[in-house]
Amino acid sequence: MSAARQTAAAAPVFLAEGELEALVAELAAAGAEVIGATGAAPASPAAAAAGNERGGPSLDYRVLPPGVAPRLLAGMPRLSLKGFFLPQAEALFGWRQHGADVEIERGAAATRPRVALGVKPCDAAALEIVDQVMNWDYADEPWNERRAATTVFTLACAVEDSSCFCAAVGLAPDATRGADGLLTRVTGGWLVETTTEKGAAVVAAHAERFAAAPPALVDEGAESRRAARERVAANLEIDAGSVRDWIAAHFDDPLLAALGVRCHGCGACASVCPTCHCFDIVDETEGVGRGTRRRQWDTCQTGKFTLHASGHNPRDDQHARFRQRVNHKFSIYPLRFGEVLCTGCGRCSRECHAGQDLVEILAAIDVAARRPETAAVGAADGGEA
Amino acid sequence: MSTPAIAREPRSGPTIYEPSLMTVVDLVDETVDTRTLRLEFKDEGLRESFAFKAGQFGEYSAFGAGESTFCIASPPTRAGALECTFKTVGKVTSALRELDVGDTMGFRGPYGNWFPVDDWRGKNVLFVAGGIGLAPVRCVIWNVLDRRDEFGDVTIVYGARSVGDLVYRRELEEWAGRADVTMVTTVDPGGETPEWDGRVGFVPTVLGEVAPASKDAVAVVCGPPIMIKFSFPVLDGLGFADDDVFTTLEMRMKCGVGKCGRCNIGQVYVCKDGPVFSATELKALPPEY
Amino acid sequence: MTEPHDAAVDAPEVATGAPGTARPAAPDRYPETGARDETGDLHGVAREVLTKGDVGVVIGWEEGRRGVRPAFVTAADDVERLVFDTRCVHNLVTYLNPRRAQIAALGRAAVVVKGCDAKAAAGLLREAQLRRDQVVLIGVRCGGVLEVADLDEPAALTPETVSPRCFRCDNREPHLVDYLVGEPQEEPPRPPQTVDERVAALDELPAAERWEFWTEQFSRCVRCYACRQVCPLCVCERCVADKSVPQWIDSASHPRGNLSWNLTRALHLAGRCVECGECERACPSGLPLTLLNRKLAQTVRHRFGYVAGDDPEVPAPVGDYRLDDTEEFIR
Repeated sequence: MSAARQTAAAAPVFLAEGELEALVAELAAAGAEVIGATGAAPASPAAAAAGNERGGPSLDYRVLPPGVAPRLLAGMPRLSLKGFFLPQAEALFGWRQHGADVEIERGAAATRPRVALGVKPCDAAALEIVDQVMNWDYADEPWNERRAATTVFTLACAVEDSSCFCAAVGLAPDATRGADGLLTRVTGGWLVETTTEKGAAVVAAHAERFAAAPPALVDEGAESRRAARERVAANLEIDAGSVRDWIAAHFDDPLLAALGVRCHGCGACASVCPTCHCFDIVDETEGVGRGTRRRQWDTCQTGKFTLHASGHNPRDDQHARFRQRVNHKFSIYPLRFGEVLCTGCGRCSRECHAGQDLVEILAAIDVAARRPETAAVGAADGGEA
Repeated sequence: MSTPAIAREPRSGPTIYEPSLMTVVDLVDETVDTRTLRLEFKDEGLRESFAFKAGQFGEYSAFGAGESTFCIASPPTRAGALECTFKTVGKVTSALRELDVGDTMGFRGPYGNWFPVDDWRGKNVLFVAGGIGLAPVRCVIWNVLDRRDEFGDVTIVYGARSVGDLVYRRELEEWAGRADVTMVTTVDPGGETPEWDGRVGFVPTVLGEVAPASKDAVAVVCGPPIMIKFSFPVLDGLGFADDDVFTTLEMRMKCGVGKCGRCNIGQVYVCKDGPVFSATELKALPPEY
Repeated sequence: MTEPHDAAVDAPEVATGAPGTARPAAPDRYPETGARDETGDLHGVAREVLTKGDVGVVIGWEEGRRGVRPAFVTAADDVERLVFDTRCVHNLVTYLNPRRAQIAALGRAAVVVKGCDAKAAAGLLREAQLRRDQVVLIGVRCGGVLEVADLDEPAALTPETVSPRCFRCDNREPHLVDYLVGEPQEEPPRPPQTVDERVAALDELPAAERWEFWTEQFSRCVRCYACRQVCPLCVCERCVADKSVPQWIDSASHPRGNLSWNLTRALHLAGRCVECGECERACPSGLPLTLLNRKLAQTVRHRFGYVAGDDPEVPAPVGDYRLDDTEEFIR
């Protein structure tokens, strides 16, 4: 894991704007898949003509086709980087029936080396946080292989909007957790600082593309990062430890129970979340006597998640399920693994169709935890957050 | 294609999600809808080396339908083959029921924690079970009976809704025939047949009547939630401490290895911290099971 | 099997009920509710229904940190929180799903509804998922809404900002309501491309290209079921997608399962969908679900002379029959 190979941040080098395309081309030529945030080209003239990419194609992390550069600018990709490590649907193995016998078939897919450029620090940090559950006791090989094969360069963030709250969960817009290097936008290009041997190796292998970093630009970069940290800290300030302990001790509190009243249990939040990792395992037949066992994204927000075969459902209403979401992310996972299972990217609040707002929810719990005498009555009644 | 969020091809290496292949070597219909399968590892090495502890579970595959979670119902003292007992309730169990002797299924395990049987040496052991809840308990019963000298009195209180719902009939008779076991079998009121010569009454009620002594004793309880709910106060009334009462929790599980999140209750992942819990531990969990 | 594209489908004067019969004028069609009470404003009506004692919660909209969002007002003192403006996109009738026990526990609900939302309520009444006496409907006069709810201030509707589904709405002063509040509104502006025009553009493609378009769209589906969860008419106690014995629809998010899911849901909504657009808004992958629903609504109109309206007495093609139905088995 990156944590083990972490080095002190190396002195920055400079990547000029004009060099980005060439760097991407070189990385691809060296056999890596280059991942970056881009919009999608409309799939067909029909899609374009039908106006079915309303508002412009969505910004998303994609494997860059040849000649396409990532957008190393502000913008939150719609989905997180998670799908490149835990695909939304992943074949685990195939099987084939031969009479009474069964043969398990593995595939030939090997994980190609990948370089991700310009990843949001909240998305990169999520990888290291999910590493914990993927490796406690049993090691999840598909996840680990993809982690090992990927070099992640984050881009210091200018802070999207008031829904960002990475600082409140112990991160920052220029955090380097889960990353092998950090890019910072400055005049004329980007500063590049590597934080692991893996990151340093990539820079070294393409040394021609990088130049020495002029001190003025280094100062500029430091200042923009400091200003961003200030901006995001202003969005939300909580004592994550108090929140964690309050939730653990107040399972039946009306505040927690009221959080789910607006929620539809749609799971969109989980699908855009960089740290949500729950999955289902299913068998799908393909013709007679053969098929594939797959795992796929799943979410505790669906009614089916805890439904027993007997018909009993321990979490049979949305308030119980939404409470589990908040509980697992901010109390259970921290108590079990020492990490908040949230990086403050804010996607869930932006995505939520019914106006569930994690900034508001965390602020309300923080108030309850630190100043119980002025605690919010319950989110259903509007609360006081 | 935009985001490569689908991995169509399996990878070339093994994963923790790949089951071992098993042959069905025997099957017994315990009741109209409950069956026990006896399985052997196809791989000879595994057949020799496979070991587990009483209380652990596995993920059993019916290829094409999926996996289902059952305890290992045979005792660790009798290795070589595994047994599982299941009720036909859904897709996977229906598919498992289609299997015949000689067919292949899959097994991943052993997973989870186990009953601290070694800690009970020298103590009296009380087993309380209802319906198909006897399956995980049976494993521990045989574990104890195979090491009979190490333990004090052994009492088994077992009941089901009706005579037709009793499982492991041959073993019930065998246990009843042993001088070193007190065996009490009951069926719910209305569940008896004219020939029935066991007790009639709900398990918690009969447990109260049998009233096994709690001094130097531990209790293993497993059955439908309602049975457990009403048995706990009876045990409490008999003087059993919560630390000495053990149960195994049935929860919806998928991966069995603490990753998919399905079995998480409070701070516990049932597939790793359980499925065996003492009453003390169970009462500390949020009521989400 | 393409339905002939009919420009008249845009027209608000569509037939409901048996082919050939026009919609009778409101409010006489709603004898159970009596005439709409048009005397109050939103806050006044909300206060009144809460204080009269027979309503436990008013479900409306309020300002949150990110624009407007659904609100659950249980105290008469809190009604000032309720707002209605162009950001009020949500279809609040979804909260009347009989399976939402936590909301049912708040008591009898009064729901603030736009015209499209009222049609959804009519759908639930028509299908006996709801009894008329279980809910109070507070209708608002609507001139259209934006596509998004999360603006700090309500924005004016322009061709670019208005939600395309609002164009030519036939229910801007909902009929199936106990109260009607708000000022009369202008008609919503025409978007650069109406939903019908977008459907027509797809219809004009050769089938192979249209197939490719939809396959590419569905490849982005992550099977989160947000579309189903937010839909006021997706109220099945056990959705077909959740059934495993048999597994009607593959659950993994790959092409076969995704196509199956999206087409099945569209078909299950044919003749029922009120085109409130919530499914498309909720979809984290931006699938153009309203096009599918619109296409099927056009088909139902052509084949059965039926459009989902806010009169629960008018029976829908699915769930009712007439002796002059064209199918053989009825004769």
